[in-house]
Amino acid sequence: MTKYILRRVIQAIPVIFVISLVSFWLMIQAPGGPEAVFNQNPHITHEQVLAWLKRWCLEQNPDVFGVVREYLGWVGIWNCDAGSLFAAGGLPNFFPTFLGGGTNGIIHGDFGLSIFYSQPVSDLILSRLPATLILMSTATVIWISIAILAGVTAAVRRYSLYDNAVTFTSYVLYALPTFWLGLMLIFAFGVTLRIFPPQGIIDARSSPAPWGTNAYWAALVANPIPNLLDIGRHLVLPVITLVAVSVAGDSRFVRSAMLDSLNQDYVRTAKAKGLPSSRVIFRHAFRNALLPILTNITLEIAAIFSGAIVTETVFSWPGMGLLFYEGVNNRDYFLLMGLVLIGSVLVVVANLVADVLYAVADPRIRYD
Amino acid sequence: MATTPKLTSPVPVVAPAVDASGAIAVADVEVALESLSQWQLAWRRFKRHKMALMGLGIFGVMVGIAILGPILIPYNPLDIPGSPIPGGTGPAANHFFGTDNNGRDVFTMVLNGARISVAIGFFSMSIAGLTGVIIGAVSGFAGGIVDNLLMRLVDVLFAIPFLFVILVAARFFGQGSVVALILIFGLLSWPLIARLVRASFLSLREADFVEAARAVGVSNVRITFRHILPNALGPVIVAMTLLMASNIVLEAFVSYLGFGISEDQTSWGNALSNAQTALIFGNWWWAFFPGMAIALTVLSINFIGDGLRDALDPRARL
Repeated sequence: MTKYILRRVIQAIPVIFVISLVSFWLMIQAPGGPEAVFNQNPHITHEQVLAWLKRWCLEQNPDVFGVVREYLGWVGIWNCDAGSLFAAGGLPNFFPTFLGGGTNGIIHGDFGLSIFYSQPVSDLILSRLPATLILMSTATVIWISIAILAGVTAAVRRYSLYDNAVTFTSYVLYALPTFWLGLMLIFAFGVTLRIFPPQGIIDARSSPAPWGTNAYWAALVANPIPNLLDIGRHLVLPVITLVAVSVAGDSRFVRSAMLDSLNQDYVRTAKAKGLPSSRVIFRHAFRNALLPILTNITLEIAAIFSGAIVTETVFSWPGMGLLFYEGVNNRDYFLLMGLVLIGSVLVVVANLVADVLYAVADPRIRYD
Repeated sequence: MATTPKLTSPVPVVAPAVDASGAIAVADVEVALESLSQWQLAWRRFKRHKMALMGLGIFGVMVGIAILGPILIPYNPLDIPGSPIPGGTGPAANHFFGTDNNGRDVFTMVLNGARISVAIGFFSMSIAGLTGVIIGAVSGFAGGIVDNLLMRLVDVLFAIPFLFVILVAARFFGQGSVVALILIFGLLSWPLIARLVRASFLSLREADFVEAARAVGVSNVRITFRHILPNALGPVIVAMTLLMASNIVLEAFVSYLGFGISEDQTSWGNALSNAQTALIFGNWWWAFFPGMAIALTVLSINFIGDGLRDALDPRARL
């Protein structure tokens, strides 16, 4: 098993390397760079633009080698202050810092600065993490519970009116475009009925301080109930949006896993022994149906990172998905690279975790 | 119940004397005589699926609108009549689906948008299907280092944040172009198909009938296309229908974000891209109807996919 995990990790490194290289190349080559904001400004000379780009370790209209230099600068192999592969001390730049290597680049733990915000990318991402975690954990818990409940009950009463109703509902929900469902919910409950706030994470007028500031966290700790209620009210619509779309696919999946399991010999044996049907369903059938469900959920939790872009953009939810959308609009190269790196590492890790979990939970499966 | 047996079988069968001896005997004769091709069997199974038939009907209407759209529309989609009205006007007799805040007819937008939305879904699906089948087949048949390299490529495409590539690539390949969007969607969504095809190839490669074909000296190319591919095609076709549905939604979302096709063309995504700002005026029809068109199309495609899943399963009985 250890050998298997090790091999998978070694395989994953070139995959992540290629992803980051391709993303970087596409982004740099796309027309219009971050320096475009200066185009309309007559007071800024060409030299100033070049100097500004140099500060970000970027070049204007780079050739292939230029893009590679920029990329290696982001990775930490290229020392762009000196313009060489060597750090100030004369040792290769990719050496760890305490051995005399450079300090820039992700291999030294430095995600770089956001071009638009002029803040460290890692700080920006960390500041957006709480909102995403709140939204995702709430949505995930609700959606998994509903999917399992609906899928299992539908499978137990196969082809009944209830089963058909669940199937039909899940098909309809599955067909709704996420962002459109969000818009319609905003219109119905946020604008017309005014029950739930249509956008944002807190009410800007009544909150003690802007979201994410230290003052806000202090106020949250000092006065938790009204502030948490405020967040809860804002959570309702985005959570419904996320849950509706995810439940649709997953309840179908749970249903078919459960049906497979109910058709197994050991379930028939359990029934033949005269066990009560609740015990047969939960102890014998459901525990075995859980295996494929577990794998699916692991993969989805990683994928939700990109799915949240849709929901967070529609609801102006100040999480990582919205940060990503802003980054694309602002051509914020290093912020985007940081987010792409985290996103792809998450997917690769989730794939590995899903496979390992599967083998741990099911003793019939062995990797060697 | 004396039915005349259809003699479609090339093998000469001695026609039994049909008398009133019993229904079972007649049924037996029919089974022996009527030979249906794989596709005829599939169509029979498909027809039993009521939802799939309904989906096929709705989808047919949508394709009809996509083809005839520019003839059916009651107004010129680019014509901006009169001065802007904040929020537009609601559904009425002369504007079934209301108007947007420039007075343009939403019904016209929906009819006119079908063409681009359905085209993007269909052509990106075709590109993804073709690429996926070829790469999956090569990977599954060749094995070894070729397989390993191609599967690492699939890993890369799976792990790369999809929306990021689409947003950046939309800018890269020329914003606003329908062809660019089709290429981007098609070239990014084939890995799923490739994995499916590869998996079936790996198992079918060892199947007895393939070994038999090889033993008689059938060439590799013929084994691939004649013996393995038709058997691997069922799940691939189902996956392709789902892909078409999800690409229609994706186009709508990308256009909604402003990275999709240009403003002077209408797709369903474009039709509702500016609708969010109008929602606060109580203008629900502008966003509602194009979204319903998307949802209805996706729903019908998914039902078709579900019907195909049963119909193309060779183990399913008639």
